[in-house]
Amino acid sequence: MTRLVATDLYKAFGSQSVLTGIELTVPEGSLTAILGPSGSGKTTLLRVLAGFERCDRGVISLGGRVVEDGRRYLPPEERGIGYVPQEGALFPHLTVEKNIAFGLSRQERRDGRVARLAEMVGLGNLTGRYPHQLSGGQQQRVALARALAIEPEVVLLDEPFSSLDAGLRASVRADVQRVLREAGTTALLVTHDQDEALSMSDFVAVIRDGRIGQTGTPQELYEHPVDPDMAEFLGDANLIRGSVDSAVASTPLGTFPLRSGSTPVAKPTSAVILVRPEQVEIRPGRAAHGLAARVVESEFHGHDAVMRVLPDASSGLGAIVARTDGALALAPGTEVTVTARGPVLAWPDA
Amino acid sequence: MTVATLPQTAPVPAVHRRRPRSLVVGSVVVAATLVVPLVFLLLQAIQVGWAELSKLLFRHLTATLLWNTVRLSVVVTAASAVIGTAAAWFVERTDLPGRRVWAVLVVIPVAIPDFVVSFGWVSVAPSLHGFGAAVLVMTLAVYPLVYLPVAASFRGADPGQEEVARGLGLGRTRTFVRVTLAQARPAVLGGCLLVALALLAEYGAFEILRYQTFTTEIFTEFQVGFDAPAACALSIVLVLLGLVLLTADGLGRGGGRMSRSGPQVARVRQPRRLGRATVPVFAGFVLLVALALGVPFGTLVYWLVQGGRTTLPAAASLSSAAWHSAGYSAGAAALATAAALPVALLSVRHPGRMTMALERSTFLVLALPGVVIALALVFFSERYAAFLYQHSALLIVAYAILFFPLALVAVRASVAQAPTGLEEMARALGSKPWSVLWRVTLRLVAPGLAAAFCLVFLSAVTELTSTLILVPTGAQTLATQFWAYTTNLSYGAAAPYATLMVIIAVIPSYLLGRWFNRLPVNAATPT
Repeated sequence: MTRLVATDLYKAFGSQSVLTGIELTVPEGSLTAILGPSGSGKTTLLRVLAGFERCDRGVISLGGRVVEDGRRYLPPEERGIGYVPQEGALFPHLTVEKNIAFGLSRQERRDGRVARLAEMVGLGNLTGRYPHQLSGGQQQRVALARALAIEPEVVLLDEPFSSLDAGLRASVRADVQRVLREAGTTALLVTHDQDEALSMSDFVAVIRDGRIGQTGTPQELYEHPVDPDMAEFLGDANLIRGSVDSAVASTPLGTFPLRSGSTPVAKPTSAVILVRPEQVEIRPGRAAHGLAARVVESEFHGHDAVMRVLPDASSGLGAIVARTDGALALAPGTEVTVTARGPVLAWPDA
Repeated sequence: MTVATLPQTAPVPAVHRRRPRSLVVGSVVVAATLVVPLVFLLLQAIQVGWAELSKLLFRHLTATLLWNTVRLSVVVTAASAVIGTAAAWFVERTDLPGRRVWAVLVVIPVAIPDFVVSFGWVSVAPSLHGFGAAVLVMTLAVYPLVYLPVAASFRGADPGQEEVARGLGLGRTRTFVRVTLAQARPAVLGGCLLVALALLAEYGAFEILRYQTFTTEIFTEFQVGFDAPAACALSIVLVLLGLVLLTADGLGRGGGRMSRSGPQVARVRQPRRLGRATVPVFAGFVLLVALALGVPFGTLVYWLVQGGRTTLPAAASLSSAAWHSAGYSAGAAALATAAALPVALLSVRHPGRMTMALERSTFLVLALPGVVIALALVFFSERYAAFLYQHSALLIVAYAILFFPLALVAVRASVAQAPTGLEEMARALGSKPWSVLWRVTLRLVAPGLAAAFCLVFLSAVTELTSTLILVPTGAQTLATQFWAYTTNLSYGAAAPYATLMVIIAVIPSYLLGRWFNRLPVNAATPT
């Protein structure tokens, strides 16, 4: 069952194309994140879905109903979407209670829904306040309650946490996730923060240059990026040149089994191989087994440490990033031995 | 009265949103109404014919009027620029004692009608007339038009730029010229434009000072000589002068935009120490306020006290005049504010070439002095709508057209402040566009609408020229009654009318000043 389907969406502003053939499906009851760098067209996509902008081409359907298909265009007020923008956009002239009730009919206002929603987002005792009397996090919660009040087909969240400071962000995120689950609402979240996308959502759609590059669960995306660019976009990546043959990848770092799902090859072929930093192991000193290298940078994070090491010139490799236990952090200049654990992902040259 | 800066070059529209048809239609109707006086002026000119027009124009009188008008405009504008800018700098940037009090006192003259200022001077010195007198009186009456925008620009300017200039090795004086004044330049030019336009339109003050300009002559030809063709011919020259000013202003501000870098932080600025200059500067302010405020207020008080013993007008006449003034002005204020709303919404929410052209066309009204608008409306009603002749509706429409730019500036400023996100939000929550306008937009721009209403109201209460021409027979406003007594030299009888007018105008001016000071500097300026 799907709540929201967008097919072949195109949108340009003047001569500048922003969306170039978006394909997107949001399953019922899921929290799906649209992840993309700034300028990738993700906010425009959300605005087109909401009906604030018209698309040039393509079909959008919400809850089985076509809301836009090039000829037909349903204005935002008839789409039944709950929109939560970046800054919350609460009506400054209305109290929390009246903000939440804004989209409701006279009858609906009296059925206790407003109080229930205020309670649900944890602001049951602040319904008489005005927006300027609330903190940033509280404002976001009110914005969410207001969006949920109209029992929307889907809630669209446009970078809702980016204006909050780091400490507040985590707790507001968790609250929003909880409330969306409790309400059983389908939600689409736009963000440029990969941590946020990977940790909060059921599905992630990565948008690149106006197109969806890949869709999947966070784990699928991290383990099976479709191409090296995608691998680098989602998390840190070491992309190493090597070769593959049947189910084995050979690199100067060693020989590894291929991940299931890698493109099978019949004869030895040169390839780009992905080794995630947490697959890299670093030991101080020189050992017989492994690659000799020297630490060039070391960032200590407490629970873990990220080091950049430069292998000896003879290996032909550039710098490698490794993530290790914080206790194992080494000072720059230290001589080390680098090894790695498989399985790895490989993209054979075409 | 405030920073009524003209639109600059059209920006490339960021978002191609569709313009709601009702807004476009509303704005087009407003813009069309505003150019009506111009159209009627041209129609009338065509009717008079070129032969007659050229005979009326190419005579010695026109040259005299042109010389009088231009030299007065140049000298008063220059004097106002110097006094306004200097006063703004001392109040905003130095440790001049009593800066807060001065900031209020030096602005108040803007709320006193120019003809009351010259009434004050003439009753102090009855022999005062001619060019010198006109320069003195008008400079004291209009310099706040430069002071207000320049002070706002000094308040809003980025202090970092001056510090950087000092750091780069520029001395104090060169920093002042190359950075401080450069930052204030658009504001100074904007203020000068307002001053020059006010001078072109002024009638009452010059009549009292017996100084002949285009406006006074047009008025005399029409109202005394009943010579409509001559009035029309002179009006065309006057409007052309106004258009030249508007164009020059547009060209003058074309080069370079002022910008500030970094976030809009309100950094506390260390005021410049005046040191030994404190005493002379303080004395200068005392003198300025004594001349600009003390003389008109002093004479009003004197005549009120004197008049109490001799010719105090009947209270009934005073209240009836006040009632008429308030009624016409309130009608005009409501009309102008309502008309400004669609234009402001369209220009802020849906920027684009067509919208920009539409908004700019409304600023053409600035080139139309009250006397010209009134004449055009008289011509219109005589020819096409006799039932409107001498009807109060005509006066209300004239006021609304005359003061439309003020209403637009105020409404535009608050529309620019109201975030569009809120309107989209309301749509997403299921509200229809008209319902969004009512439930969200109007609530958000309410302060701007109130400000626009006040601005137009107080300007209309103190308007004299078009009121004299259009006021319905038998009705008197505060301004016309004051004028009737003044021209009979019954100063004691005139004073209560002027006092009431000033009281009605000063209080809203003060409140408005506070409101505009709270706005971000650029919100009031069309982009």
